[in-house]
Amino acid sequence: MRSSHLVLTLAVGIVGAGCSNIDRSRDLADPKVPALSLAQQVCSNCHGVDGNSVSPAFPRLAGQQADYITAQLTNFRSHQRSDPAGEFYMWGLSRHLTDEQIAGLAEYYSKQVPRRDAVAADPKLLATGKDIFEKGVPDQNVLACMTCHGPKARGIGTFPALSYQHADYIVKQLNVFQNTQGRPGTPMEFVTHPLSGDNKEAIAAYLQAFPD
Amino acid sequence: MSLAIGSSISFRAKLLLRLAALAIVGLMLAPKAAHSLPLFARQTGQNCLACHAGGQFPELTPYGRMFKMTGYTIGERTVPVSAMAVASYSKVANTSKSDDPSADFSKNGSLIFATASVFLGGKITDNIGAFAQITYDPYSVQNSDGSYSGHTNADNIDIRYADRFVDDKSDFIFGVSVNNNPSVTDPWNTAAAWMQYVPVPSPSSSRFIDGATPYPGLAPGGNIAGATAYGFWNRTVYAELGAYGTADNAFRFMSAGIDSASITKLKGLNPYARLAVSREWGANNLMAGVTGMVSQVYDLDAADPTHYRDLLVDAQYQYLLDPHTVTAQMAYGWRRVSYPGSVANQPAVDFAGNPVANTNSSDTINVFRAKLTYVYRAQYGGSVNFFNQGGSTNTYYLDPTRVSGNAAGNPGQRGATLEVFWTPIQYLRVGAQYTAYNRYNGASTNYDGSGRNASDNNSLFLYLWGAY
Repeated sequence: MRSSHLVLTLAVGIVGAGCSNIDRSRDLADPKVPALSLAQQVCSNCHGVDGNSVSPAFPRLAGQQADYITAQLTNFRSHQRSDPAGEFYMWGLSRHLTDEQIAGLAEYYSKQVPRRDAVAADPKLLATGKDIFEKGVPDQNVLACMTCHGPKARGIGTFPALSYQHADYIVKQLNVFQNTQGRPGTPMEFVTHPLSGDNKEAIAAYLQAFPD
Repeated sequence: MSLAIGSSISFRAKLLLRLAALAIVGLMLAPKAAHSLPLFARQTGQNCLACHAGGQFPELTPYGRMFKMTGYTIGERTVPVSAMAVASYSKVANTSKSDDPSADFSKNGSLIFATASVFLGGKITDNIGAFAQITYDPYSVQNSDGSYSGHTNADNIDIRYADRFVDDKSDFIFGVSVNNNPSVTDPWNTAAAWMQYVPVPSPSSSRFIDGATPYPGLAPGGNIAGATAYGFWNRTVYAELGAYGTADNAFRFMSAGIDSASITKLKGLNPYARLAVSREWGANNLMAGVTGMVSQVYDLDAADPTHYRDLLVDAQYQYLLDPHTVTAQMAYGWRRVSYPGSVANQPAVDFAGNPVANTNSSDTINVFRAKLTYVYRAQYGGSVNFFNQGGSTNTYYLDPTRVSGNAAGNPGQRGATLEVFWTPIQYLRVGAQYTAYNRYNGASTNYDGSGRNASDNNSLFLYLWGAY
């Protein structure tokens, strides 16, 4: 009985060691693990396999600008981006990613197709959000979002895509820009300065729904 | 008799001061960086609340469940050791209805170092990871002079191999585990091994705290040896099958520290099965599941096993979106016990020595448990928790012992626990629980036949939990 147990234990150990497969690795400190494996085995747990996260706690990455993803992962890795969620979830995961892995992840998510959440929104809120997105609030010096993020809010370069993004995530990030130094070095510190709470909710609701 | 109000207030004030002082010392000693954390946090570099809902331990988030199901292998190999310690204070409402309060309610109203654990494990290879807990109980054995001796033994052990086959069309996790506690492998915290989470200190003053109240469980308990295989398909259907036997011979490490005469002895291999369905939408997730186990345990008769059939139904709902964490849990357990010949159908007498009905040859016991928890900013939390145990009456369980006795021969217990807790930093938690009973051992009043009422067992429990 005892010898059969030992044989079983050894067999499991040998099979385990032998089956190690870099294409299905979850090792975040191995530069040889391809970006696709990291996306599928690790990132997908929160952001979804195709970058369409289910929970609004985690941003939708599908269709995001590759340069923006590269910049954010690099800033998490260097701790330059230090909003609480970024620090809690992303500092550790990104700490040993190589530039090649970051570029690969950015390319992977930029090529995924973003999906719209099936969430009902107040039409008045959407109308206000659309107005701010397209025209800003001139008498409060709020710039129109589309000036930098594009008419379809798909972003360009390091200006992120915003359409279909989870509203809760957008509101929280607007608060980070407005009230903290957690994401330094972007124009958003100034852009968000005059925004009221109601306006943030309206912009976020509109971007999440982003009607065609 | 009720508590002496004046003395109890000053006592509580002193205790709170001591707890606060400990908490402040802990905060001062704690390093500022959020990275010197227990082993899994070191492994991923993430904050504890990535995996633990609202920073509550051990309740897992959807990501924490994936971390566990993929064999604790996300991240990188690191120092594979963590430690946990609990200080506690228990106070039973009425200690007067007892022949020997110092024995029946040992350490009542005293702040004690309750327990400490060392955890070993984490990522071993790309596919193999482990979680192993070794626990020290400073109050394990009470000596004849009233002093206590400590003892260390193996606690939960889960060593697993897992692989995940995932692409844009399907997602399948497959794993096998060698472990020592049926359902310790389970990713949901309504499972038998996980729903009760604050360790119960050994001194008898803690015998009525929430952790000692009925929880739906599986008859053999821990420190046995088993292997299970599981699959999780498209983050929706979870299925697990396994079998458990006595933790002896090559598997003796699963019961290490427990003397060989005292280890749980099972007849042959005892099957375990689990099926759960999970769904995530928005910030919500919901699970509903069933667990079954059939076991034969040499607990009442060394030569003739007791037969147990356990069927558990459980469900868990979570809403997780900063700053709110809401968890609703429900578990119902049904058990049928068939007794060995030496226990079944035996003559019995009541407390006066008069003959009563023979003992039963089998019993059924059911336990219902529901709990609602809210945590704000992963720091300030509270929960309300209801429990009800019912079952058949059996003269075998008639017991005239004061305080623990049973005048009805019935397992009925009903009550509720209120808890508030504070997690000032992620590896320190201070909590207060109050458990109130309106039924104990089958009766509300005079349950032990010596005048003790269920509400006399109401208990206050304060704890300070730390992990590093």
